[in-house]
Amino acid sequence: MNKQQLSRRAFLKLAAASSSGVALAGLGPLRNIAAAQDTVELTFGRHWEAAFRPRQAEYDEGFMERHPDIKIDITYNTWADHNNVVPAWAAAGTLPDIIYVHGSRATPWAHEGIIIDINDIVVADEEFNVDGMWEESVRLYRVNGRIHALPYDHGPVILGYNKDMFDAAGMDYPNGDWTMEDMAAAAVELTDSDMGVWGWDGQLNLGNSGGGFFLGAWGGASMNEDETQMTMDTPEVREALNHWYNLIHEAGAAPSGTESEAFPNQNPFRSGACAMGHIATWSTPSMRALANFEWDVAPTPMGADGTRSTGAFGSGYGITPTSDKPDVAWRYLREYLSLDGMIFMWSLSGRGSPARPEGLEAWLTSDPAPPNGQYFLEAMFDYAVTGPPFSSLAAAQVSNILGREAGLLRLGETSVDAAIAAITEEAQAALDAVAEDM
Amino acid sequence: MLRRYLRPISPSARREERIFYLFILPWLVGLVVFNAGPVLGMLGLSFTDWRISLDDLQFIGLDNYATLVADPIFWTSVGNTLYIVVGRVVFGTAFALFLAILLNQKVPGIPFFRAVYYLPTVTAGVAVALVWIWIFNPRLGILNYSLKQIGITGPPWIYSSQWVKPSLILMSMFAVGPNMIILLAGLQGVPKELYESAEIDGAGNWAKFRNVTLPMLSPVLFFVIIISVVSSFQNFTEIRVMTEGGPGESSNVLIWYLWENAFIFLQLGVAAAVAWIMFVILMALTGLQFRLGRRWVFYEV
Repeated sequence: MNKQQLSRRAFLKLAAASSSGVALAGLGPLRNIAAAQDTVELTFGRHWEAAFRPRQAEYDEGFMERHPDIKIDITYNTWADHNNVVPAWAAAGTLPDIIYVHGSRATPWAHEGIIIDINDIVVADEEFNVDGMWEESVRLYRVNGRIHALPYDHGPVILGYNKDMFDAAGMDYPNGDWTMEDMAAAAVELTDSDMGVWGWDGQLNLGNSGGGFFLGAWGGASMNEDETQMTMDTPEVREALNHWYNLIHEAGAAPSGTESEAFPNQNPFRSGACAMGHIATWSTPSMRALANFEWDVAPTPMGADGTRSTGAFGSGYGITPTSDKPDVAWRYLREYLSLDGMIFMWSLSGRGSPARPEGLEAWLTSDPAPPNGQYFLEAMFDYAVTGPPFSSLAAAQVSNILGREAGLLRLGETSVDAAIAAITEEAQAALDAVAEDM
Repeated sequence: MLRRYLRPISPSARREERIFYLFILPWLVGLVVFNAGPVLGMLGLSFTDWRISLDDLQFIGLDNYATLVADPIFWTSVGNTLYIVVGRVVFGTAFALFLAILLNQKVPGIPFFRAVYYLPTVTAGVAVALVWIWIFNPRLGILNYSLKQIGITGPPWIYSSQWVKPSLILMSMFAVGPNMIILLAGLQGVPKELYESAEIDGAGNWAKFRNVTLPMLSPVLFFVIIISVVSSFQNFTEIRVMTEGGPGESSNVLIWYLWENAFIFLQLGVAAAVAWIMFVILMALTGLQFRLGRRWVFYEV
């Protein structure tokens, strides 16, 4: 018989060739949520770290006691993964009822139908005081003028300082009269790089919470208010970036990006090696837990013309379109995000930056709050502005570009002019590309 | 094209063939359902404006591919990918072969060393990446500390655009365990008579390696190279944990570029197009290797 066949060796060779390509296809298994229960089950996708979960569990136990018809089921993602897991859930149609929404994701997620418009629900609920939230915080979640999520936290970044290092140098602490030049001069004086000690922490954040701090004192901003035009190529921004670049690479008063990697606690200021840094309300618990020195906060230093500016940002919660019980989801959120809910979760716990002024006032008495924590409150009332990009569909791309160039500036691998040119060209192209979809 | 692989079959061979296919049936089903299916699905989706929802997809032809061609970061990621793939495959295969030869010696303690060199392979990728972050730390890392002991100031490794790709290649040297084991098995399969014949002909160690070991090992090396190319293209964990594509775009490889488009920028249609471009590149490279393999791969008859 002269029948022909594919030899096994040939078969395996062909299979190996095929598998080299098809192996690319695995985008990962997606979770399947079962939903058969006696009471109404409310599902969550959020990201608290392990240390804060008991507080959440305590709140939820209280909530379920008050609402015995509701059972809460939480899926915790890591902070690093949450923003990537949620789109995967959405693509698979397995979104939980309520999800954590970082302020930078509200617009794209609303646009892609990952969170629903809850404007009517919020406005119709007379007992829920949405006007009692910082307007700057609610602004993050207004998409085309309508509320798509609600903030739980929102806070500014201001100046943090290591009291021990100032005391050792016999220098006065930073105060409200300081300008950015005063801050730089003090940083130079406090620096002893041979001893691994710097005056400034070398961070350079041009994104949501940082743009106002690092550019605003010079009158600069990364982009215009409606986020359609990059505004990096201006004398103000150039002057601001030169200030920070020179502080790191000319004066040597701050560790470079490479040097910063060596610090414990992954933060030069928190490690105790740097006398000053920018600090946000949400980072105060980790400061209290890990900083092995006395520290406090001061108002963000002013620009030469007396301009004081900083960025503020936060996160919230939204209801998803796959939820078949948005009314029940709202029953949870209206309590969770009420003043009482915020005080329990974020003020008394010391977690910080609740999105209501009264909540922030209550937080000032908690242990992690620094002695002069009222400067956070002052910043929110007087000069903090919610930092872009967040309302453009290209916000993620623009944030990436800003972060990339800021990182290269810290490393000294690009110049201020080159960074401005790259940001302007690439980020503007990204904004233009989504202009029609907005 | 398949004709060259076809040959006559006997009844006993046909019976053996049936058993063979029966045994590989579960794998074949998995391949078709879980791999080939999504690959074909991804091809279709790469011609759409897919972002998140599969409802109301619009057919946009080659727009996603045109977007990629016009994006300089895409080309940067292609260049970075090829750089890392070439480095990993060339140095990784050479190092795996070197280790396999060492571990093929008959000296005391060999099983211990085999286990030691294989150990990084069975460790979780994220854990390995975290350890390497510390190894590469310019000020505190053991690598620069060791270099300092011999009077060398170490580079910034993954914290520098110039050094990040060599660093990732260097790191991959310590995950050559599977290739090392495969090559070791290949070495142990080389008939000793061939070495004895070569010795009778007066061959030294190098001549035996070049004229006996390498030709006899060539099918195994061929397999190792193909698998290494594929796995190097899928090198995601290290980028995600250690560099996130930086500094700048200097470690932005295709798989990271794909992931960013899919899960950061929510441009899943574009990401599907990237996946297909990777697929085509891999198939082309594999085809090229098969073609070149005819010149140097020696199959024992």
